[in-house]
Amino acid sequence: MEVLTEVGSLVLRVYLLRALWTALYAQNAAPMNLPLHSMITYATVALLMSLILEVDGTRLIREKIREGTIATDLMKPISVPLYFFSDGVGQTLLHAVLVVPSLAFALLMVHVDVPPPATLAAFAFSFLLGYCVNFFLNFLMNSIAFWTLETFAVQLIVRWVSDLLSGQIIPLTFFPGIFGRLVFGLPFAAIYSTPLLIYVGVIPASQWMTYFAVQILWLALFGALSTFVWRAASRRVVIQGG
Amino acid sequence: MPIIQTRDLRKVFRSVRRRPGALGALRTLFSRDYEERVAVDGVTMSLEAGELVGYIGPNGAGKSTTIKMLTGILVPTSGSVDVAGIVPYEHRKDNARNIGVVFGQRSQLYWDLPLVESFELLRAIYGIPQSTYKRNLAEFVSLLQMDDFLRTPVRQLSLGQRMRGDFAAALLHDPKIVYLDEPTIGLDVVAKEAIREFIARINAERGTTIILTTHDLADVERLCRRIVLIDRGTIIYDGDVERIKNEYGRFRHLVLRFEEPVERPQLPGAELEESAGVRARFRFDRNRERADLLIREASERYKLEDVTLEEPDLEAIIRRIYVEGYESRTEETVS
Ligand SMILES: Nc1ncnc2c1ncn2[C@@H]1O[C@H](COP(=O)(O)OP(=O)(O)OP(=O)(O)O)[C@@H](O)[C@H]1O
Ligand SMILES: [Mg+2]
Repeated sequence: MEVLTEVGSLVLRVYLLRALWTALYAQNAAPMNLPLHSMITYATVALLMSLILEVDGTRLIREKIREGTIATDLMKPISVPLYFFSDGVGQTLLHAVLVVPSLAFALLMVHVDVPPPATLAAFAFSFLLGYCVNFFLNFLMNSIAFWTLETFAVQLIVRWVSDLLSGQIIPLTFFPGIFGRLVFGLPFAAIYSTPLLIYVGVIPASQWMTYFAVQILWLALFGALSTFVWRAASRRVVIQGG
Repeated sequence: MPIIQTRDLRKVFRSVRRRPGALGALRTLFSRDYEERVAVDGVTMSLEAGELVGYIGPNGAGKSTTIKMLTGILVPTSGSVDVAGIVPYEHRKDNARNIGVVFGQRSQLYWDLPLVESFELLRAIYGIPQSTYKRNLAEFVSLLQMDDFLRTPVRQLSLGQRMRGDFAAALLHDPKIVYLDEPTIGLDVVAKEAIREFIARINAERGTTIILTTHDLADVERLCRRIVLIDRGTIIYDGDVERIKNEYGRFRHLVLRFEEPVERPQLPGAELEESAGVRARFRFDRNRERADLLIREASERYKLEDVTLEEPDLEAIIRRIYVEGYESRTEETVS
């Protein structure tokens, strides 16, 4: 049943995206040298990626801090951040099982370009890096709960900004001028934009390494920041209830 | 060498003072206006390996806070704490291997999993050897009578069943030290007795060091030789249960049952507190009179059917200490 609704809603969203972009392209042909079929590929793949990236394993942190149940995890000989990461990966895998049939359906419905294997591999690697960056971003966001217990407002803002600036909805190549260059310098680009632009071929093979390096840089930075935040947080964690 | 040692342990909770209203909520975000609450205020205590100590005090005294510092999940504001040679909050994970914890008010079992799957998960987490795991599980299942609900998801267990599951979960990895924070809360009399029996057994057979927090003083009477009394974050008594009973139990009660009703019975050296038909209750000063002599005297005067000597009641004593505060009564007893 869940699979059915999931597939249904996905098929609908793929269809709407295609209709939207087709209509937009009818007004203004091929902005930024991205032909319509590439754009539809981009949007469809972005949608499938979002199914995986929107699973937020670290949401647990917030709930557990609010309810005080994090105490139970802290009393076990485990690395709690690693536990949250595994939990996230587990949820993602479970989700992926649901995604596979949707994927088949979507591919039947719209024409999606399938790049050569090398590009596909580069995409997969870049996606993996993006997944980890996304994890740490979520982790940092949810860790705010250690300080305020109220994280809703911050999360909403970051979510909104990241939806727009990650390239999930609009390719970052569409942003004009200096702003266009700025968004590539933000960490959000490492999540959706880089893997997607590799997929549709906007980032040529010669530049893959550079883009990977930028992703890895963000990953290292966020990883270090998360470690630091976790250290500070677990020193001042206040267990609710008792 | 003590296995648990704290010195001048203090914990002060600092929370931002909240302001009412929407604007207030916004200002709270930026406020530096803190409210301080001293939960634990200079606790020094030490436990030898194998001891089973009752940690007693009124609501909000700081018991759970102390225990959280012993587990390493709370960092003390000041003072030192040492558990089996480890500073818990500095080496939380190493400490976790040495300890087992049961919080009566919250479960450490995995809500959606059948009980036995929770145990399996714990086996993996602690890296418990298969043989130890099997032996412990079999023993706990039989002692705590868990066969009936081993495969039931934890969310469907009754409180008493869940608590038994929590005990097993806390002990599977053979911890040297066990903290029990209100482990009999909400249990019926039979279940309570089963849990007490289990605690006594673990302590006796495995030599596990146990700190037991409870509001049911029958737990303490049944299990503990030593109690530590805490009030408003400070230890007010640390010693034998017997000693506090002696200090506070200067007056004892002798209850007589006569074969036929006696109008206002008399007993030299004892004071009649209440009498009704065939039953009379006398109070006497333990330091002046001897119970056996009083009983002999009573049996010479009246035809007795039954005699009961009431032990000083720990609950009444503790209640009195909560209300009046503790002061050593040794002098009073001597005079
Ligand atoms: N997270 C917290 N933030 C602020 N104050 C707290 C917090 N946890 C506990 N306190 C305060 O610290 C004091 C001691 O609480 P604690 O839970 O240690 O009491 P307790 O002895 O376990 O009481 P009980 O018998 O009711 O369980 C209380 O005044 C409580 O309000
Ligand atoms: Mg408590």
